[in-house]
Amino acid sequence: MRRGSVVQLVLFALVAGGAASTLALVPGWLPTPAGREAGRIDFVFWFVTVICIAIFAVVAAVIVYSMWKFRAAPDDDSDGPPIHGHTGLEITWTAIPTALVVAIAVVSAIVLAKNSNAGRNPIRIDVTAQQFAWSFSYPGHQNLTSGDLRLPVGRKVELRLKSLDVIHSFWVPEFGQKQDAVPGLTTKLVITPDRVGTYPVICTELCGLGHAVMRTSAIVMKPAAFDAWVNKQGKALAGPAGQAGKSVFVNNGCNSCHTLKAAGATAKIGPDLDKLAQQAKGAGKPLEAFVRESIVDPNAYVAPGYPKNVMPSTFSQLPKSQLDALVQYLVSSSKASR
Amino acid sequence: MTTVAPEHVHEHVAAPPPTGWRRLLAPGWLRVPWMTALFFGIGAGITVLVRWAEGWHPIWKGTIITTVELTTVPIGFLAGIGAFDYWVRYASGAPTRPEDHSGHGARSWRDYFRVNTDHKVIGIQYLVTTIFFFLAAGLLAMFVRAELAKPGMQFFDNQTYNGLFSVHASLMIFLFVIPAFAGLANFVVPLMLGAPDMAFPRLNALSYWLLPIAGFMMLGSFLIPGGAFATGWTSYAPLAVHQPLGQVFFNMGVQWAGASSIMTALNFLVTIITMRAPGMTFWRMPLLVWANFTTSLLVVIATPFIAGSQFFVMFDRIMHTHFFDPGHGGYPLAYQHIFWFYSHPAVYIMMLPGFGIASEVISVMSRKPIFGYRLMALSLLAILVLGFSVWAHHMFVSGMASWLRVPMMATTLLIAVPTGIKVFSWLATMWEGRINFSTPMLFALGFVSMFVIGGLSGIYLGAVPIDIHTSDTYFVVAHIHYVLFGGSLFTIFAGIYYWFPKMTGRMYDERLGKLHFWLTFVGFNLTFFPMHLIGVQGMPRRVADYAPRFADWNLFISIASFGLGASTVVFLYNMVRSWRFGPPAPGNPWRALTLEWQVTSPPPIFNFDEIPQVVGSPYEYGVPGARHAVLNGDRAEVGELEQVRRT
Amino acid sequence: MAVHAEAHHGPPVAHRSSRVDAPILGIFLFIASEVMLFGAFFTAYFFVRVAAGTPWPTPPFHLPVFVAGVNTVILVTSSFTMHWALQSIKRDNHAGLQAGLLLTFLMGLTFLLTQIREYSRIGFAPKDGAFATIFYCLTGLHGAHVAVGLMLLAAATIRAFRGHYSSAAHHGVEIPGIYWHFVDVMWIVVYSTVYIL
Ligand code: HEA
Ligand code: HEA
Ligand code: HEC
Ligand code: CUA
Ligand SMILES: [Cu+2]
Repeated sequence: MRRGSVVQLVLFALVAGGAASTLALVPGWLPTPAGREAGRIDFVFWFVTVICIAIFAVVAAVIVYSMWKFRAAPDDDSDGPPIHGHTGLEITWTAIPTALVVAIAVVSAIVLAKNSNAGRNPIRIDVTAQQFAWSFSYPGHQNLTSGDLRLPVGRKVELRLKSLDVIHSFWVPEFGQKQDAVPGLTTKLVITPDRVGTYPVICTELCGLGHAVMRTSAIVMKPAAFDAWVNKQGKALAGPAGQAGKSVFVNNGCNSCHTLKAAGATAKIGPDLDKLAQQAKGAGKPLEAFVRESIVDPNAYVAPGYPKNVMPSTFSQLPKSQLDALVQYLVSSSKASR
Repeated sequence: MTTVAPEHVHEHVAAPPPTGWRRLLAPGWLRVPWMTALFFGIGAGITVLVRWAEGWHPIWKGTIITTVELTTVPIGFLAGIGAFDYWVRYASGAPTRPEDHSGHGARSWRDYFRVNTDHKVIGIQYLVTTIFFFLAAGLLAMFVRAELAKPGMQFFDNQTYNGLFSVHASLMIFLFVIPAFAGLANFVVPLMLGAPDMAFPRLNALSYWLLPIAGFMMLGSFLIPGGAFATGWTSYAPLAVHQPLGQVFFNMGVQWAGASSIMTALNFLVTIITMRAPGMTFWRMPLLVWANFTTSLLVVIATPFIAGSQFFVMFDRIMHTHFFDPGHGGYPLAYQHIFWFYSHPAVYIMMLPGFGIASEVISVMSRKPIFGYRLMALSLLAILVLGFSVWAHHMFVSGMASWLRVPMMATTLLIAVPTGIKVFSWLATMWEGRINFSTPMLFALGFVSMFVIGGLSGIYLGAVPIDIHTSDTYFVVAHIHYVLFGGSLFTIFAGIYYWFPKMTGRMYDERLGKLHFWLTFVGFNLTFFPMHLIGVQGMPRRVADYAPRFADWNLFISIASFGLGASTVVFLYNMVRSWRFGPPAPGNPWRALTLEWQVTSPPPIFNFDEIPQVVGSPYEYGVPGARHAVLNGDRAEVGELEQVRRT
Repeated sequence: MAVHAEAHHGPPVAHRSSRVDAPILGIFLFIASEVMLFGAFFTAYFFVRVAAGTPWPTPPFHLPVFVAGVNTVILVTSSFTMHWALQSIKRDNHAGLQAGLLLTFLMGLTFLLTQIREYSRIGFAPKDGAFATIFYCLTGLHGAHVAVGLMLLAAATIRAFRGHYSSAAHHGVEIPGIYWHFVDVMWIVVYSTVYIL
């Protein structure tokens, strides 16, 4: 191989590598991390990216160079030089990739170990997944339940995931962490939120027709705000019917699918619950009976334009007091909004 | 449209064709309807009888009957078309007819529509059928992209959308990539080996006829109440157990396709081991043969696992067993372990034959010996072995035993090494060659470059922390398409163009071929590269609806994908037109050394008048006086040539 | 070696590049894939019993270890008669072939019928928990293989009684025989893991 062609080849590789690097740097690839684990994952990601850009650059350079230099003229019937192999080269391109992948494996294993370490005193949160809703409960905080995931910033959290029916998967892109919830098993996931904000919780395992809408939010709060929330929730459940109903509504994740002004809910997967009165008329039932039936047996009447079988039917198992409070709350708030 | 060179068509003394009502008894399309109906009756009858005897109610239960019929009706079809005639006669003790070769070769297009035992005819049957299913699956992908063009719901409801990508992927994998490679190999491998046919021609025919059954079963699921199966091509339990009836069309479709691929693989293995021409040692086999040898080993060993996993889902559905129900002692993750123990090797089943094709094309078109031949063959075996030890990389976030993650990551990443050896050897083969950038070569190079991108995204996924973030996102969808479209499909195209002259006896249109390549190459990258980005940013896969912030990229992808779909039209036009009107092809248009090019295009009905004598490596380009084989030659020449090799 | 194609209107005779017979190699590869099918079922068994910790057998159920043991003896014996049949035809002893095949067939049939009878007396159905599921599916899968084996044997027996086969040509006996031995060995594995362990 002549000196000149080496220089040319290196130039090609630099161009290809430069193009690939631009592609890696210009669009915002990873979401801005909101957890320590995500930060470490990002490190692995960029570590692998550097290696991959180098490899891609070499391959692309050789291909483009060959297309340019070794093209046979249309009337050229000659053969190339009969080179059958080259032991040195073959050893090189076995050894270097081996070294690189070992490096990737070691870095990954270390990060994995760190990311799975729950530490000594994590906040424990039980996550229940079902078709097609999430709910979170806080055994360390008066067994509160909530339809969205509230976390204090800076504390390690250990999620314990369970599923009531099929396999789901818990993912918050900004946390980087993901874990399936499997019926019959309890799986674990560690998160250390380090940025205040609201992030999507996404179900990433195909779990049936409502898979795409199985979402809620993760809200990272200042510790003080978190404590305030805990206290308020605890009081609300014990408080007067109106308040209790509202907390049941939020705690069970109704707000991740429905709009209800009074509860500040704006989701659009299910019907707008501010318009319950019209719906009840459409179904030809008295408002209260309609609301109760819609919660206990969602398929009894399916609002036109909305899918059957998406709203979970497990709310029929809510304690009677909570169910009553919830129905009361919905009935009164829809009367108020009229 | 014949595969028989005219001078070799000779009259056979076959039994006279039946006349009158007897035609209903002869194997063929007239026997199909009533045999199928008969077996439908048998299936329904057995089910009703058993349910009646056991006192299960209702005695006539649609879901159960359908599941049973998906087994019995295909058997009726196969019996009708005549796939079993010989064996039934044999088993009943009747004297078997001596082979009259009436089932061999194709003299008109009709011969492609009956049970034909000629490997060349079967190869073409395979290819045309699989391309049909490729178009169907591609059309479904177009629907997927139409739905995804905007956030919110456009054309389909959720369940239908899930059905669309499930059938799309299942057809692409089980009815296109796997059998298309089997079809190419069916045509080429016996020729390359210097064999007159496959070892078991009747089994070969049966393997083919199982394919349309599997394909139409999967497509047909759209017509079933409740819609097509909608659990992805992975069909995870326990979800699949609780899905509408369409699900069993996947479970059974996979069984038929799997049976087909096991039989073909077995046939390849026996052919390669026992029917090589004299002088063709393992180290003189073309790499395509090596590739199919390793692939076939993978198929024979791994495929029964997917059969098992689908049986379990079906049993859970119809017999109410509890394989996956934790409430009764079952274990949901068992499904994934069993499924991926097949389906990871399956991704190499979908890639190794492509490696073989690339090796042939790159060596021939560069006019140079393949670089590091032995290591090329050995790296295939290394991938085979490693491939069985990595299945759990699809389960890093599944909740399986967490100690399995690091060892599986190590083996997964190590596969980059033998694969890298192949990539670098292809590049070295091109180095200083006299490269002819014909369409097959363009596709082979497109394959090398795109597969490297796909393989590297596989490295991201193989690193556990990154996989935890990107699993089940569009990053995986991008990986899938870079390896399967950029890898498998590009090599299938390369193979089709490369052997088109051999198969049809006509040349394809080179300008249209190049146009097809460039349109596909550009459209492919525009469609699938952005998927990496939106995946990493946070878009999950298998959703009909997504967050509005991904709207722009999705619209872009959808538009690009329609362009990609349109590029297929160029391919189809070229194929159909050239097959009918293309200029006649010489025997060896590429000046290749392997055996299939040493006979006429298309090859004679029995491939060779005389079994050739192999005298050297198949890749000795540029070695003065070297030859791979001697055909119909005098034997003295052979001894002389043995000396020349490896100078 | 190579006969000219035009002469007998057929293909040239393929070169034999291996000492192994194609049909024998074929059946062994087929058995390899059958072993893997059993492997998938055993994997499910492993997950149910080890990973999920299902008690074995799940009370209150019992497994008929003794009857199945007798059945095992019958099946193992049939492997010997099969071997005898094959050895006979290798020496052109047609009577031995016929008797051997017939005995093998009858013993296989006895095994299958006993198994079916046990199913009806065993006191649980596939739907009664994961233990029952695995029991029925593993023994059922094996039973299906016995049934297939019996069909192959039936064909071989019919032909044997019609006077086919000779010391020079007996693939039609040897191949069902190999398959039958496989079915037999598989039963021993099933019996020891499902009934005894
Ligand atoms: C043709 C099919 C094919 C092929 C060949 C591959 C090849 C590889 N795949 Fe891929 N894969 C799929 C098809 C394929 N895959 C499919 C269909 C899925 C999705 C299934 C689903 O629906 O869920 C999937 C999913 C998938 C996952 C799971 C993702 C998830 O769901 O979370 C992982 C994780 O490890 C993975 C890894 C790999 C790796 C490491 C390789 C390696 O073999 C790649 C090796 C190649 C290279 C690395 C490039 C060339 C090498 C060099 C140039 C040498 C130098 C390189 C280095 C030093 C790094 N694949
Ligand atoms: C070989 C494999 C293969 C191939 C070639 C393709 C090709 C394509 N795939 Fe597919 N795909 C998979 C294998 C493949 N795919 C797999 C395994 C999955 C995972 C599924 C799962 O999650 O379970 C998947 C999933 C998948 C998704 C993700 C769905 C989701 O997660 O929600 C998407 C979305 O864009 C997609 C798009 C496409 C597109 C646009 C093409 C295009 O390349 C197609 C181009 C179109 C054509 C080539 C045909 C054009 C036809 C016409 C123009 C009509 C002419 C018709 C007649 C003449 C009859 N595919
Ligand atoms: C996963 C999404 C989801 C969740 C969580 C959910 N719903 Fe629904 N809901 C729906 C959908 C979709 C419909 C419309 C289809 C139907 O009626 O089943 C619906 C319908 C209803 C209706 C009938 C409204 C009408 O106009 O017909 C009521 C009332 C209702 N939901 C209340 C609730 C309450 C209370 C909760 C929480 C305890 C809740 N939903 C949680 C999705 C959801
Ligand atoms: Cu739950 Cu997807
Ligand atoms: Cu894999």
